[in-house]
Amino acid sequence: MRVSLNWLKEYIDIDYSPEVLAHMLTMSGLEVEGIEPVGQSLDNIIVARIVSVAKHPNADRLTNCLVDTGKEQVPVVCGAPNVMEGAKVAMALPGITLPGGIVVKKGKIRGEPSMGILLAEDEIGLTDDHSGIMILPDDSETGASLTSIFPVKDYILDISLTPNRPDCASVIGLAREIAALNGNAIRMPDIQYQEAGAPIDELAGVTIEDTSGCPRYAAGMIQGVEIRTSPFWMRYRLHSSGIRAISNVVDISNYVLMEMGQPLHTFDYRMLSGHRIVVARAKDGDRFATLDGQERILNSRHLMIRDVEKPVALAGIMGGINSEIKADTRDVLVESAFFDPITIRKGAKTLGLATEASWRFERGIDIEGVINALERSLSLLAELTGGKVCRGIIDIYPSPHKTPLIELRVKKTNEYLGTSLTREQISPYLRSLQMEVQDIDYELLRVKPPSFRVDIEREIDLIEEVARMHGYDKIPVTFPMMSSDAGADDPTIKLHDQSCAVMTGMGFSEIITYSFVSPDSADKLGAGEDSLLRSFVQLQNPLTVDQSVMRTSILPGLLDTIKENIDNGEQGLRLFEWGNIFVRRDNAPLPVEKIVLAGIMTGQYEQKAWYNTVRETDFFDIKGAAEVLLKSLGYKETVFKRDGITTGYDQDASCGIYISDRCIGHLGRVASAVMERFDIKAKAAFIFEVDIDALAEKELEPIMKYAPFSRFPAVKRDLTVIVAEETESSLIRDVISREGGNLIESVAVFDVFKGEKIGANRKTVSLRIMYRSMEGTLDGNRINKLHERITKSIMNETGGTLSEG
Amino acid sequence: MAPFVQSNGASILEDLFIILHSQNMKEQLIKIQKQAEREIDSISSLEGLETFRIQYLGKKGHVTSALKKLGELPPEERPEIGEMANSVKAEISLMLERAKNRLKSGEIKKEYIDITLQGRAPARGRLHPIDIVNREICDIFVKMGYRIVQGPNVELDYYNFEALNFPKDHPARDMQDTFYVSEGVVLRTHTSPMQVRVMEKQQPPVGIIAPGKVYRSDSDVSHTPMFHQVEGLLVDKGITFGDLKGTLTGFVHQMFGKDVALRFRPSFFPFTEPSAEVDIQCVICHGKGCRTCGNSGWIEILGAGMVDPAVYGFVNYDPEIYSGFAFGMGIERVAMLKYGIDDIQLFFRNDMRFLRQFY
Ligand SMILES: [Zn+2]
Repeated sequence: MRVSLNWLKEYIDIDYSPEVLAHMLTMSGLEVEGIEPVGQSLDNIIVARIVSVAKHPNADRLTNCLVDTGKEQVPVVCGAPNVMEGAKVAMALPGITLPGGIVVKKGKIRGEPSMGILLAEDEIGLTDDHSGIMILPDDSETGASLTSIFPVKDYILDISLTPNRPDCASVIGLAREIAALNGNAIRMPDIQYQEAGAPIDELAGVTIEDTSGCPRYAAGMIQGVEIRTSPFWMRYRLHSSGIRAISNVVDISNYVLMEMGQPLHTFDYRMLSGHRIVVARAKDGDRFATLDGQERILNSRHLMIRDVEKPVALAGIMGGINSEIKADTRDVLVESAFFDPITIRKGAKTLGLATEASWRFERGIDIEGVINALERSLSLLAELTGGKVCRGIIDIYPSPHKTPLIELRVKKTNEYLGTSLTREQISPYLRSLQMEVQDIDYELLRVKPPSFRVDIEREIDLIEEVARMHGYDKIPVTFPMMSSDAGADDPTIKLHDQSCAVMTGMGFSEIITYSFVSPDSADKLGAGEDSLLRSFVQLQNPLTVDQSVMRTSILPGLLDTIKENIDNGEQGLRLFEWGNIFVRRDNAPLPVEKIVLAGIMTGQYEQKAWYNTVRETDFFDIKGAAEVLLKSLGYKETVFKRDGITTGYDQDASCGIYISDRCIGHLGRVASAVMERFDIKAKAAFIFEVDIDALAEKELEPIMKYAPFSRFPAVKRDLTVIVAEETESSLIRDVISREGGNLIESVAVFDVFKGEKIGANRKTVSLRIMYRSMEGTLDGNRINKLHERITKSIMNETGGTLSEG
Repeated sequence: MAPFVQSNGASILEDLFIILHSQNMKEQLIKIQKQAEREIDSISSLEGLETFRIQYLGKKGHVTSALKKLGELPPEERPEIGEMANSVKAEISLMLERAKNRLKSGEIKKEYIDITLQGRAPARGRLHPIDIVNREICDIFVKMGYRIVQGPNVELDYYNFEALNFPKDHPARDMQDTFYVSEGVVLRTHTSPMQVRVMEKQQPPVGIIAPGKVYRSDSDVSHTPMFHQVEGLLVDKGITFGDLKGTLTGFVHQMFGKDVALRFRPSFFPFTEPSAEVDIQCVICHGKGCRTCGNSGWIEILGAGMVDPAVYGFVNYDPEIYSGFAFGMGIERVAMLKYGIDDIQLFFRNDMRFLRQFY
């Protein structure tokens, strides 16, 4: 909320600088987000008198004025329609910088000399009025500074209000809060007017059909108003609060809204059929044109103000065109009411309409302040419109508000805050906030909050007020005794820390991409019609289509990221992401949410340096990374199998990752069609994905344990076989471990060769077998026999031959 | 190349000669060995080595000469000194052997290593700055005794709002621009739902820290539609607002430095009362006022407060027995302050030129 400091000072003495006041308010919970000086350069603007007005020879809309600056008479060209001989006006002489930053220069306008500018209110930075130049009172002294007439050097405080403090959404509300802080008394505005018109009961009536939507409705009337521009002081204050001035009647209701926090509405009395106000719900499909010119389609959730024939206002939100104040309006009915917060909120939400009024009604206004605000507006109407206020007011208030009585325990307060306050300290804090405090005994207070404090209902609400008034900074700093939390640790936390360490150790950098993606990401991955990748969780209100569904795969983010980085000139990339994927379930409100870890490699394996020859990343780089990762996490028995079920991967160069026959991930080369659809300018990219939630399951949990090792020497035997190209090395390994049993310490493939010499579709595989026994030194003959048997079995089962060489 | 030993050979020999004529043979042998050790490293050619060999082990070399003098000693001392002389001879032979290996390549007079060349670097990946800061924050609380918990990103309205005392159709819901999924389902707007999820499963004491992704429909230089938060909760008997101040003071001092001031000021969150915003003294200008802190000298960093009794109502805790506090902070904001990052969008563009700057 924006509020003028000078306006505030009308209700309370403030002896502090704007900065100190801002600090005090901030530290009491009303955060001041800005202090904006106003009228700081008014000293330089002078009062000038228009001596004569003549037509500009070259422009119809301009006039040549001769102006008395108090020192001399100078020519000024002016474009305002309201120049007038003899008028006192605001003028800026050459060399002056205006609040908007414009520097005034002497010069010629369309050939005619001009020695300054006659100013409109907006050019001085006072209001947003640009309808004409600012006309000053006739008795203003020519040549004097503008500050001699308008001491408007002011500051606008921009205060951020929390939703629990609607009572501060007014100048008087803020003054009350300042009063609690500085102890000064509040000066309430003078409400004085003559009831010179006819009795209101004879002119109008009010019926509330929906008393839960409208617990209180009051109305007053004024007859014979003259619609005109409001005085400068009122327009200035409205402008400082960000409200556009319109005309006296409308401005007055906005002024009282800002002053007291009570939204008011004014109706043109002659437009109210039957001269009766009826508060009732709309019917589904009703149409109604609001003041902003829009036709709204209503439903039964909307509370309406009607006359006997038609709706005339959306209660608490906005008035209607059909009863608005017009230039020829003479008789005005003023509404001051309390509408149910939830009803107003639902209504405003469904219409997508938020106004100063609805904002306040939603949060809760002071139901006991309704009449005061009505009378304040009648008083201002009497003063500024020339009309006659009707006798009496209407006030329909079937079940008056009951203020709660709340018990506050001194001991509880101290236990909660960690303070040692006494009853004698607590009571004044609450009284300063206009609460009635009754001492029951040393330990107990009975408190009645004022009706405007709609946020105070419970003991805890009072404890907060005590803390606030005492000052959070005065509450002692202590440290809690920590008892250990009884819950179980989430195993994925440890996996995260370990995985990140291993991945970064292998040169992969961590990325974080948005959890929402474009729905076409499934198409880009090449997902089939029934693929789970299409089971998107859809956002109802996405910011863009590209962020409209929750990702079902972590790959799109990785692929987009390498695309961007390659386009930026990166030669080789290794990235990983740890994040959730989301798969919609039709039988449950929440989707399946899984943590996935994925790595991607592309381009040069390493940077060119003096010690290396650069090569391209290939399949075995990503496989190696996945193997090292899983081993480092303790998963020793990992199996890699072609399973052909991996969307987005090249089927010839990809496989599933299995632990205990359970598929826990995939790895391989990204399909070239996918590379194209993601527009990745690289020859190839390689990916692995691991399902972390699966790894974290109890039955897969690795156990770190010592096993005794043999102290006897090993025997090394090499073996080269020629086999068909499709023979997988794992088959040969399986034979070796089956035949060799626990005498096999390790098997390593140390060479694979294909070439003409070997023959088409064949390859040689060279293996090194290490034999070792736990029981003793191995006998050479025994190993030779075993090695021979193993060799034979390999030949038999692979159909291969032993290589000569 | 004129080896060092040759240019100085004469004077050394003189010294040794004097030594050999002195009475204490043991000492002399030790000196010979030490002298050899000093010289051997500065020899940079095979010729130099040969000279060295002749000087020490040759027929007229120092060691040989010493051995020859054995006869001059009393018989009872001869075995001991003899053994020692042989061991010195062996040591020097070994030195020669090592030096020969060192100079094996023959041509290299002196090995030159350009120690300014880049080392053979194993690949090195970086953690994302958000992860770095997240770890730092969590570690501080884990050391205090908090347990890390995680929960779903797509969340029930019940956990995200209702059980946190944001009633339906309450303006407090406007504080957060929510992404809606379906009736009763949202993308969580904060990690606070974990408070309720944990409390409904266990009785106090509860001490948890909940990091994670959160979502709000807002995007500009200081907002991204997804960002990260850490939420903390402590509920037990006798927990006070003073304890909250102490805990967060300890946190800020560890995270930003012992001399960083902080202040607590009243605020409003539906699930805490009293509620506070916690500001730290601006780490850029140290409180003098700058662009980052909007000239106030303070930067808002945490939201916190005592758990509102209304929340206990949803999880069946007795507010007459237990009390507690909760706090939350945005990780991006902390990271931006710590590293001087001025555009939050950078975190999610994953540009290597950005990521490489963190380690
Ligand atoms: Zn600063």
